[in-house]
Amino acid sequence: IAVFFLQLLRLAAVKPGVFSRRQTAHCSTAALLRHTRRHLRLQRGFHTTTPALAARILSVEEIFSMQSLHRYLRKVQTEYRDCLHSLNTGDSQIDEEELRGKRERLSVLDPLVQRITELEEKQKELEETEALLKENDADLHELAQTEKENCLTTIQEIKQQIISALIPEEESDMSDLVLEVTAGIGGQEAMLFTAEIFTMYQNFASFHGWGFEILEFMSSDIGGVRHATASISGPLSYKKMKFEAGVHRVQRVPKTEKQGRMHTSTMTVAILPQPAEISFTINPKDLRIETKRASGAGGQHVNTTNSAVRIVHLPTGIVSESQQERSQIINKEKAMKVLLAKLYSAKLEEETSKRLQARKLQIGTKGRSEKIRTYNFCQDRITDHRIGKTLHDLDAFLLGEDLLDEMSSSLQQFYDQEALMDFLEDNNTD
Amino acid sequence: MVESDHCAKSSPFSTSQRFSMRLRCLFFFQALVRVPCRAVGGAVGPPIDGSVTVEQAVSLWAQHFQQQDISEPLLSSSYIIAHILGQKTLECIERSRLGDRLTEQQREMVWELCSKRLTRMPVQYVIEEWDFRDLTLKMKPPVFIPRPETEELVSLVLEDLQEQQKDKTRPALRCLEVGCGTGAISLSLLHSLPQLKAIALDKSQEAVCLTKENASRLGLDDRLNVHHLDVMTDEYLIVRDCGAVDVLVSNPPYLFTQDMESLQEEIVRFEDHAALDGGSDGMSVICQILALAPKLLTEEGRVYLEVDPRHPPMIKRLTEQRMIGLQYLETHCDLTNRTRFCVLQRRR
Repeated sequence: IAVFFLQLLRLAAVKPGVFSRRQTAHCSTAALLRHTRRHLRLQRGFHTTTPALAARILSVEEIFSMQSLHRYLRKVQTEYRDCLHSLNTGDSQIDEEELRGKRERLSVLDPLVQRITELEEKQKELEETEALLKENDADLHELAQTEKENCLTTIQEIKQQIISALIPEEESDMSDLVLEVTAGIGGQEAMLFTAEIFTMYQNFASFHGWGFEILEFMSSDIGGVRHATASISGPLSYKKMKFEAGVHRVQRVPKTEKQGRMHTSTMTVAILPQPAEISFTINPKDLRIETKRASGAGGQHVNTTNSAVRIVHLPTGIVSESQQERSQIINKEKAMKVLLAKLYSAKLEEETSKRLQARKLQIGTKGRSEKIRTYNFCQDRITDHRIGKTLHDLDAFLLGEDLLDEMSSSLQQFYDQEALMDFLEDNNTD
Repeated sequence: MVESDHCAKSSPFSTSQRFSMRLRCLFFFQALVRVPCRAVGGAVGPPIDGSVTVEQAVSLWAQHFQQQDISEPLLSSSYIIAHILGQKTLECIERSRLGDRLTEQQREMVWELCSKRLTRMPVQYVIEEWDFRDLTLKMKPPVFIPRPETEELVSLVLEDLQEQQKDKTRPALRCLEVGCGTGAISLSLLHSLPQLKAIALDKSQEAVCLTKENASRLGLDDRLNVHHLDVMTDEYLIVRDCGAVDVLVSNPPYLFTQDMESLQEEIVRFEDHAALDGGSDGMSVICQILALAPKLLTEEGRVYLEVDPRHPPMIKRLTEQRMIGLQYLETHCDLTNRTRFCVLQRRR
């Protein structure tokens, strides 16, 4: 059933923006990002294991058996009827302003209420067909059986549509992103692992046909990576990548280990949403641009090949740099791109934390596990601690193809479900 | 002027950091090579047992360049070796390939090109190419190697031209470059503005040929005319053949003659002095360009110049004191905040 639900959820990619008013309240991304930051700060502090979260992906039936869902759907229907009533009767006690509000609300609720009505009709139809089945007419029996099956399929579809309509969309879901990988504890081994993970995402991008442009790349000895960033662009890239943010842990006998001992190392992934048009401007006065040409006379006086550019955003102290290119101006453009993404996510994070405080929600209900995932080579398994899901065949996983995609889809489903629960909880207590 | 890897270490730029370890282990490979001091010009002999990995070659030459006081030793070695492996930078090379042994042919190339660098030949001439904005251009001594500041000059011109192109009723824009060198400025403009037509001049035959070669490599030769003309002496021909352009752009020689002595050896020995020396106040070619500009520009046509930071007030004074038919519009700074670019406009 769970697998079926998974496929259905994937099918239901288009969600009508029914509850756009509420969407902003659910911004797990920023919470994830904040966690990543916290991890970066505490990098050396943790080695303890938080128990894997006992998470389960519910089926459509299970979700529909929840009281809170029915309560909410009833509430929507009542509100819809009330709105309709006051608009039709032309209640003189209501002023223009309120009427307009009600009219808007009506158009927002309409698609959902339509689905609910359809569902009720289908369910009634199903009951009638089932009644027919109890009679002893053989011809009728066969016909009713087909009818029943059709009904069940349609009901399932409608229920799925209702669920999809209720899952709040995230503002930044449609944006591109900047991927940032940083080696954590574990020295050379951590850097080697970071390189493997970076390559995995590079493959994942080409698997989905997304663009992958390396912006920063600080390599270490023996082919590892200290720190690297890349800009990833393409349909649904952010939506699929956002759950990768967090601390990834590797357990294996490193190539560099001579006595055959198993090591545990970590690396951190940050996913910074990068909308096509960033809605804020940077004052050039807030930037300090550093190049190798600052000393000496510059211009025709000097011939250099060092074209590295480093940009510091003075008010926040956020720094980005690029030295991949032989052209200084292209390095500057790349550094600027990273800087914008960093500033944007910092801003997003700030806004979200304000909003969360205002709503007195417990911070950290999402992305709560410290380590998000373990790659255990000795047991050839990958375990995602947030949903307690384990996959096997590490080599295939690191190819960044089907297996990573499967993990990503499960995470998506789990978070959609969580968002739905939060949504129902919030809306039933209003 | 020499930038050693020392400053690279203390600075935020960390390209060289990862090599510091390797440099420490270097005497391990030194056993593999003949001791360099007796070789002519300090050249390093190829390894005795004939095998060396990419990383080893990079470290070995970086250290040798440093010993010989060659500027940017690690970058030089990295760029040359990356080029031989068919890439622009070492970072572009797959990490796993860094430990691969160089083939005999590659090793010979590394030794040949790095030996050229030992003569202080600029890396851009050694590998015969460099990037300017989003173009890769062929470089050939003694044609002046474009500097990063000039990339910003192109940005300035592009911004203005893109603005003007929004007016669809305008006929195709035309641009003239004086002293084109490798063709970097004209080719970048043509590459970014598909409607633009350009004329480029240089008094050096080598520069004219190189600009033509770069233009045809980039498929931009149909919109570019290159003439072998000297702005100082061919005034009549220039006015007759190149006239009525919307933009006149130039990175003219602007160094003060007395500063020529203090330049890096790389520049003094390999680059065309005529592309650098602007006379006692660095203004001789600038003045000539400004004198010709009103005869070459369309109404409200503009001049964009890259200059020495001491020049903008001098140029401004010139336009105010003498009626040369140009109005000084603005001064722009480069990334290091030096007053590097002047924009002037033809008076109505």
